[in-house]
Amino acid sequence: MTERTNDDWIADLSSTSERQADALQDLQMRLQRGIYYYLSRERSDLSGLSSHELTQMAQDLAQDATLRVLDNLDSFRGDSLFTTWAARIAVRLAISDLRRTRYKNFSLDEITAEGDLLPLNANPVAGAPPVSPERAAERSDALDKINAALRSALTERQYQALIAHALRGVPLEVLADQMNTNRNALYKLLHDARRKLRATLEQQGLSPEYVMNLFRE
Amino acid sequence: MDDKLRVLIDLIFNTHLDTMIDCETCAKQFECLAELVAQGANTAELLPAVEEHIRCCRDCREEFEFLVAMLKADMLADSVNRNE
Repeated sequence: MTERTNDDWIADLSSTSERQADALQDLQMRLQRGIYYYLSRERSDLSGLSSHELTQMAQDLAQDATLRVLDNLDSFRGDSLFTTWAARIAVRLAISDLRRTRYKNFSLDEITAEGDLLPLNANPVAGAPPVSPERAAERSDALDKINAALRSALTERQYQALIAHALRGVPLEVLADQMNTNRNALYKLLHDARRKLRATLEQQGLSPEYVMNLFRE
Repeated sequence: MDDKLRVLIDLIFNTHLDTMIDCETCAKQFECLAELVAQGANTAELLPAVEEHIRCCRDCREEFEFLVAMLKADMLADSVNRNE
C-alpha cells in the first residue's frame, strides 16, 4: 500500500487516471482492514459469524464507505489525517447499517404493551444468596418507587424513549426514526427524562449511593 | 445485580448536568481525539466535555470506540510493514 500525505490522497483520488484507481483500492483495503478489526474484536453480537462472513461484511461496508468518501472529498478540511477522516465516514456508515439490521423488527408500539419494567420481588439480584427480610423489604420498596417514578414522572414519549433505549438497547438513530425526530432532540429528551427521574427518586430518599448499595451482592 | 436493574440505575443516576454537549457537538471532536487516544492518550484529560458525553451516551461511545479500533488497526498494520 502506497504511503500518502493528506495532499497526496486528495490529488490521487481526484485524478481520473490509474492513480485514482490505485488510491481507491488502497483506501478500500485500509477501511476494510479497520472495519474487520472492529467487527471481529469488539462486537460480541457478531461472534457467531465466521471469519469469512465477517470479511464479506467488512468488504461490503468498506466498498460503500469508499464511494461515500469519494463523493465527499470537497468537505475534507484537513483537521486530521485524511485516513482518519475517511475512517470516520466508514464508522458512520457501518454503525448505521449494523444498528438498522439488528433492530429492523423493533417497533415502538411494543413498549406501551409491556408489563412491569422491573421484577417486583425482593431479591432481584441474579444468582445471589437470600437476603435478610429487612433487606428484602427495602429492596422491594425501592423497586416499587423506581417503577412508580417511571410511570408517573415521565411523559409517555419520555417513557417510551427511555425504555426502548435504556432497557431494550435500541440505538438513538433507530429510535429517532420511529419517533419522527432527530438524534440530538432525542438525546435531549432522554437527558431530561433521566434528570427528572433522578430528582423524583432523590426526593423520596433514594440517593445513588443508597440504591447502589442496596442492590449490591 | 440483575442486568436490567443495573442498566436502569446507571441510567438514572449516572447522568451529566446542564453543561452537557449534544451528540453532534461531541462527534465533531472525534477525529482529532481518536488519533490521540489510539496512541494512548486519555480522553478525560484532553476533552473532559467529550469524555463526559461519551460516558453517558452509549451510541457516541460505540462510534468513538469503533473509530479508535480502526485507527489501531492502521497503526498495527503500519508497524508490521515497517518491520518487514
